[in-house]
Amino acid sequence: MGTIVYKLKSGKWFWTICKYAILILLAYQLLYPVLYMVSASIKDPLDTYDPSVIWIPKHLSSVGFMDAFRSMKYMQALLGSFQIGLGCAVLDVVSSALAGYGFARYQFPFKNVFFVCVILTLMVPTQTIILPYYLNMRYFNPAGILGLIGKITGRELSVNLVGSNMAFYIPSALGAGIRSGLYIYIFKQFFEGMSSALEESAYVDGSGPLRTFLYIMLPNAKNAVVTVFLFSFVWHFNDYYLSKQLLGTTRRTLIVALSSLRVDLAALIGGQTTTDPLRIQTRIQAGCLLTILPMFLLYMVAQRKLADSIEHMGIK
Amino acid sequence: MFKKLPYHTKKKIYGFLFITPWLVGFLLFFAVPFVQSCVYGFQDLKTTVSGMEGTWVGLSNFSYALFRDTQFIIQCAGSLRDLITVPLILVYSLCFALLLKKEYPGRTLMRAIAFLPVIIGSGVLMDIMKTDVFSTSMNSSETTYLFSASGLTGFFESMGLSAGLIGFINNVISKIFDLTWRSGVQILLFLAGLHNIPSYVYEAADIEGANALEQFFKITLPMLTPMILLNAVYSVIDIFSDYGNAIIQMIYNTAFTNVRFGYASALSILYFLMVAVVLVVLYLAMKRFIVHAED
Repeated sequence: MGTIVYKLKSGKWFWTICKYAILILLAYQLLYPVLYMVSASIKDPLDTYDPSVIWIPKHLSSVGFMDAFRSMKYMQALLGSFQIGLGCAVLDVVSSALAGYGFARYQFPFKNVFFVCVILTLMVPTQTIILPYYLNMRYFNPAGILGLIGKITGRELSVNLVGSNMAFYIPSALGAGIRSGLYIYIFKQFFEGMSSALEESAYVDGSGPLRTFLYIMLPNAKNAVVTVFLFSFVWHFNDYYLSKQLLGTTRRTLIVALSSLRVDLAALIGGQTTTDPLRIQTRIQAGCLLTILPMFLLYMVAQRKLADSIEHMGIK
Repeated sequence: MFKKLPYHTKKKIYGFLFITPWLVGFLLFFAVPFVQSCVYGFQDLKTTVSGMEGTWVGLSNFSYALFRDTQFIIQCAGSLRDLITVPLILVYSLCFALLLKKEYPGRTLMRAIAFLPVIIGSGVLMDIMKTDVFSTSMNSSETTYLFSASGLTGFFESMGLSAGLIGFINNVISKIFDLTWRSGVQILLFLAGLHNIPSYVYEAADIEGANALEQFFKITLPMLTPMILLNAVYSVIDIFSDYGNAIIQMIYNTAFTNVRFGYASALSILYFLMVAVVLVVLYLAMKRFIVHAED
């Protein structure tokens, strides 16, 4: 409040009002879809026909939530999303911190070529490689090793990773998950900004490179770790293409469930809804709300800490 | 034996060991699929009982896409037209980041709202929003919604504007949602960049008598140029690989609905080449404006 009073006194009140007006406008247009979701999902279907109902419904109804909940197989999908999101986030932090540290602090042959490759993985859309990627996972056989063992033992050996979390964990553990190139970039930039005196004194005290990395560099890279963890978690949670392809037909994440909600709802409640877009809309908005709810709640709790880490992640 | 190696040779090996996990992942999950995808582009693939079987068809997949497919070129042009939003995203997110930089009451709340699209703005959700929330036909009480384009259409019509102009304004308004919900990561990166500019630079400028505008154009903007490039590249990739992107959906349908894997691969290679050309042009155009600050 102090600054406002100061500005009022110093005659800057006009600019202060302008600034807050802009901020309120920006906040409104960003929150509008969420507000709409809340309003539309708790509404009784009757109210959608009532022109006097704008934001606050006259009749509350939970039918939208119940139907969306059942149709999305919510708990199952939520569990799937969390398993993939959390697991990949941890693995991404480990693998990209290692690679980023290697790129930032060591000189070795072809280093620049390798780093161009890191950037290249960011530039190629997933859709370009999704087909061989899928086949890779369907008949998982890294570098022909399993095939070789199969030939020796005389049995067909190929592991089907489609439908299991491993299809996400293995690429993340090897720094090839969703947007891993960006995480490596963030860690590289961060470690380059750290003082090399730390490592030198660790070396003089007899610490090996892995020990130095684990006990000195990583604890100091907290902001970068939090940033990468958050990005990886969010992007794996919100991913559609890979989840849709690699989880097969039996398992779904929240986003995949949401994408087919319109079709599933029609099957669940019967034909009358498909002819009536307004009635099905309530349920779809409820589905949207249910999908963003876990992330939204987590964000509410950890918002300040996360935003501070990202703001000061220290990359150039 | 390893202990006898000179220190700098050891360091090279250590460095290589640090990136080895990434290198394995790169080869297994990027390089191999990418090369395979290129090979598939020259083949006619059929699924058989024993797996995929391809016959070589040379360049015919590519020539079909470029000269005979009625949709592909049109959709490509459409995607290129979407690039207009990139400068808008950059300007918007830079302004937003500037608004969030300084301390004032309500800043934390504002920052939380600004990052919201990063947390919940998935492609699927955005698609549903665009069809349901911002549609012109579904809302019964549409005139009451600020963002509903049809409500505005009525307003403009009563003001006596021409139909062409109304169409243009509506188009711009429908893009606002896209623009603001695509800018989350960019705002975040700009904000990180702003906090990286050392405060003594501004203090020195203050003492020398530079006003806020001069400080922005002579300090903030040049120091942010690496971030601007990063954000521009990120925005381009984001737009080209979006869930709602027409070409992405076309490739997906060709592969998994029509089961024409070879042709889908050819399409995706062509599409990647187009993205690569755009990114190279962007990089070359922006390269000479990049300022590298020396500590």
